[in-house]
Amino acid sequence: MFRTQSREISLSENNVAVQEVCVNGLCMKTTLVEEKLDEGNIQEAESSLREGLSLNFEEARALLGRLEYQRGNFESALRVFDGIDLQAAVQRLQPSLTEKRSTRWGRSSNESVPTVSQHAANLVLEAIYLKAKSLQKLWRITEAARECKSVLDAVERIFNHGISDVLVDNKLQETVSKSVELLPELWKQADCYQEATSSYRRALLSQWNLDDECSARIQKSFALFLLYSGVEASPPSLAVQIDGSYVPKNNLEEAILLLMILLKKFHDGKTKWDPSLLDHLTFALCVCGQTSVLARQYEEVLPGIFHRCDRWNTLALSYSAAGQNNVALNLLRKSLNKHEKPDELMALLLSAKICSEDPLLAFEGVGYARRAIANAQGKDEHLNGVGFRMLGLCLGKQAKVASSDLERSDLQSEALKALDKAICFEKDNPDVLFELGVQYAEHRNSNGALRCAKRFVDATGGSMLKGWKLLVLILSAQQRYSEAEVVTDAALDETAKWEQGPLLRLKAKLKISQSLPMDAVETYRFLLALIQAQRKSFGPHRSNILQMEDDKVSEFDVWQGLANIYSSLSYWRDAEICLEKARTLKQYSASTLHTEGKILIIFLYKEYMQVPLPSVTYEERGRTQKALSAYSNALVVDPCHVPSKVSVGALLWKMDTKSLPVARSFLSDALRLEPTNRFAWHYMGMVHRNDGRVADAADCFQAASMLEESDPIESFSSFL
Amino acid sequence: MSDSNSKVHSAFEALSFILGSIPLSVSSCETPESLLLHHPEITKQISNHLKLPNSGAGENELCRWLYNTFQSSDPTLQLVVLKFLPIIGGVYLSRASLRKSLAGFEAILLAIYAYETTSRRGQAITVNVPDLSHPSIYHEVAVMNSTTELNLAILSQTLEPHGTIRSTKRARIVGVCFELYYSKIALIPLRSKIDFCELCVIWAGQDGDMYEDEDGRKHNGEDIHDGSKQNASTSEGGVGKITKGKKGEDKKDGRIPLPWEVLQPVLRILSHCLMGPTKSKELKDAASAASRSLYARALHEVNPQAILTTGSLLRLGKMAIDSNVEPDPTEIRDLRNPVITL
Repeated sequence: MFRTQSREISLSENNVAVQEVCVNGLCMKTTLVEEKLDEGNIQEAESSLREGLSLNFEEARALLGRLEYQRGNFESALRVFDGIDLQAAVQRLQPSLTEKRSTRWGRSSNESVPTVSQHAANLVLEAIYLKAKSLQKLWRITEAARECKSVLDAVERIFNHGISDVLVDNKLQETVSKSVELLPELWKQADCYQEATSSYRRALLSQWNLDDECSARIQKSFALFLLYSGVEASPPSLAVQIDGSYVPKNNLEEAILLLMILLKKFHDGKTKWDPSLLDHLTFALCVCGQTSVLARQYEEVLPGIFHRCDRWNTLALSYSAAGQNNVALNLLRKSLNKHEKPDELMALLLSAKICSEDPLLAFEGVGYARRAIANAQGKDEHLNGVGFRMLGLCLGKQAKVASSDLERSDLQSEALKALDKAICFEKDNPDVLFELGVQYAEHRNSNGALRCAKRFVDATGGSMLKGWKLLVLILSAQQRYSEAEVVTDAALDETAKWEQGPLLRLKAKLKISQSLPMDAVETYRFLLALIQAQRKSFGPHRSNILQMEDDKVSEFDVWQGLANIYSSLSYWRDAEICLEKARTLKQYSASTLHTEGKILIIFLYKEYMQVPLPSVTYEERGRTQKALSAYSNALVVDPCHVPSKVSVGALLWKMDTKSLPVARSFLSDALRLEPTNRFAWHYMGMVHRNDGRVADAADCFQAASMLEESDPIESFSSFL
Repeated sequence: MSDSNSKVHSAFEALSFILGSIPLSVSSCETPESLLLHHPEITKQISNHLKLPNSGAGENELCRWLYNTFQSSDPTLQLVVLKFLPIIGGVYLSRASLRKSLAGFEAILLAIYAYETTSRRGQAITVNVPDLSHPSIYHEVAVMNSTTELNLAILSQTLEPHGTIRSTKRARIVGVCFELYYSKIALIPLRSKIDFCELCVIWAGQDGDMYEDEDGRKHNGEDIHDGSKQNASTSEGGVGKITKGKKGEDKKDGRIPLPWEVLQPVLRILSHCLMGPTKSKELKDAASAASRSLYARALHEVNPQAILTTGSLLRLGKMAIDSNVEPDPTEIRDLRNPVITL
């Protein structure tokens, strides 16, 4: 406004401002009128216009007002407009038009609209509109909004069936469109948010015959208002709702809907591209965690808008956030191809992170992490530590599938080195501490691990359950069961009831380790009650949340754990019942089948002890066969089920000397999968001993006993 | 004198007793509630008190006052307490790992949490994410009613009552308090929002200066820098390290774990500060500094959801500052047309 004003002034100073008013085929220089206006003599100016251009009173006034508005004399423009009784003019317009229109309404009619009344309507409406604009410029916002609203009210009264293309001339349409767009802006300026909302909806839901750009502007402005104004708008009234259609019931829903419609409009070629739209939508969808919907929106973006790598990377982020890491990784592989953008740091880090979660991808991840470290320069230098952290995680994961002991220990120590480096860069990131702790623990450096775990719990103020769990496991690996129990109890104190499951399971296992099976049973019972109560009290909502799910104890786990305790106590019937329960929850499970076999064997073993018979009875052989088939079923269900492999090995070793080579191969297979399984080492030692390889046997026994001293109650690998 | 008026008065008197000297008396032209809400000197004094080393203890008078004031169930007085939520929540979360008594802060936070729990009746807040294949009120072209299910998203989980703050629930409780803050944000005074943005930088524990646009806007880049320099300083070696230079106690860096349950309401508040109706440049600058820091933090955690959200905020903030003033579409078109016609 100021710019135009100053320009007007400069023009008049240079005497170039030769403005003309042309009406009815007559023209007139504005300077004549302006002189009179400058003297404050509105009436004379008006009459000279009426004479010079043969206009009526209202037309002359409207022209004068516009002249003053254009010259930036808003006060004076207001005075001019105040001279017209606009409401009366609107009143006059109403009946005449409605009468005529009621006969003419309908698309088929090609009768031309009487230009006189359209012209008159525009004259009046534009005058009110300019009055509103003048008031806005003078910061009388509420009054401006009221005037602007009266334009729309008048339009609705004059055209009570809405406006359609065929009926309206351009000038009138322009005034209407502008008023529709101005009104919500005015209410916003006046801090009247409810009025703003309803005027936005009025703009979008009534028939104003707006062009695409204009309605897109209003939709965008409304979407942003809903997203960021911080005021919860009331849902749209029932009047506008159509049966079966989607009605947004809060700000976010309405904003997302509008933004999606805007994007669709662009895709249909109706509006021009606005880069901020997708960013607003990204924000809105991420806030409600719907990145998969976001991914779909990005998939629909036409080529040529983003660089393809940027699009792939954004898609990868969306898919990864939605838990579809495979899809994400495939996209990242494309964008990190050497012909695309191989040095994109965020993409490198994300791919390394995804790879670090899967042992089979870890090797690929190591490559990404190294490239990330090499590329963390300049303004991205601060991400150096993140690169090292990802490198450490990938190496640690890679060690799990190493083909030889040597390779494994190399990888593990490299992983430790990388994480140590990461911690130098990321001193105050507790997550690195945690990962270093797990790595130490896997490396059987329980003191280092303990230090890290303690620091992690301190740094996070005990707010992370996984920190407590790690601490308990490390203490249990050091055979400090009572301390571990104290920590578990402390952790239980810091945990709300519904999240206590994993801790209670740990506690039960600690009890078993302390040879307190009945206490363990008690703990399991408590846990069971908790799980069952939880299932009853929560509807589907709770289970929708991924964050909660990954750390939950299932009812199956409990029955399985109880079955294990009862079988070790030789409570066959109880064990059977628990197994039965477990089976109903999960029909084919390697661990259930394994326990089944174990019960058969222990049962056999006990009887064998009670009635020592020199030869193997028929019944006994039958049981052994049954147990063996239970184990092999377990291995069919899960070919990598280590406890079953160990049990098969042990059983074959016990059965007869001819099976020793087979037993050995089962045991070494188990050790390949889980090098720290002390039972596997123990039976391996037995096999060696029976075969007469005493030195090998001694080595195995030593390994078994060393591992026994550092065996946690649950595997550390559950953390990474 | 009405009931709420007397509540305000007694709150006011109790506060003047705690602070020792309240610069103005109630008799001045303003109403006591707006005085409590808007007066810069009172705000400053309370903020300073809250940042003292042992401010969060159970027996702390100011904490008790804030607790009582919130429990008064007078909307304006509750707003006064919410106004200090950034500082309370911020100082509390930063100190949570220091094994200090924070019972005073916890009482306030639990009161706010309980209020939100009751007003939501413990229900989750859900969002039905729209799908354009369903007809809607804004569709201009009719579509066939589709059979696909709408995506139900959970904006905020169900709330369970908590009598104490267990450490694993700390983030959730503070997060819910921030949710309440967000729902009242249009009424919250500017200063509080600026405090919030400045605290975000500290929570992130990352300096985001490298994501400030190098090219294009040096002119206002300068004073942004000055603004954030008071709080954030970059150490050498590129590793962002925030040292808060204001009050001695918070010298230890205040980086806190930012799980989604805290980050989500924080980002919503930030989006309001960045793109909301305010015209305050100070707030916008503080909010863009915060979004830069949180973006850097998200990158450090390689957290895709956080990277997407903070990244979009970062770009939007830049666009808002960079954008050339577009021609006002509501201005009359032929403003400079020398020929005026009817």
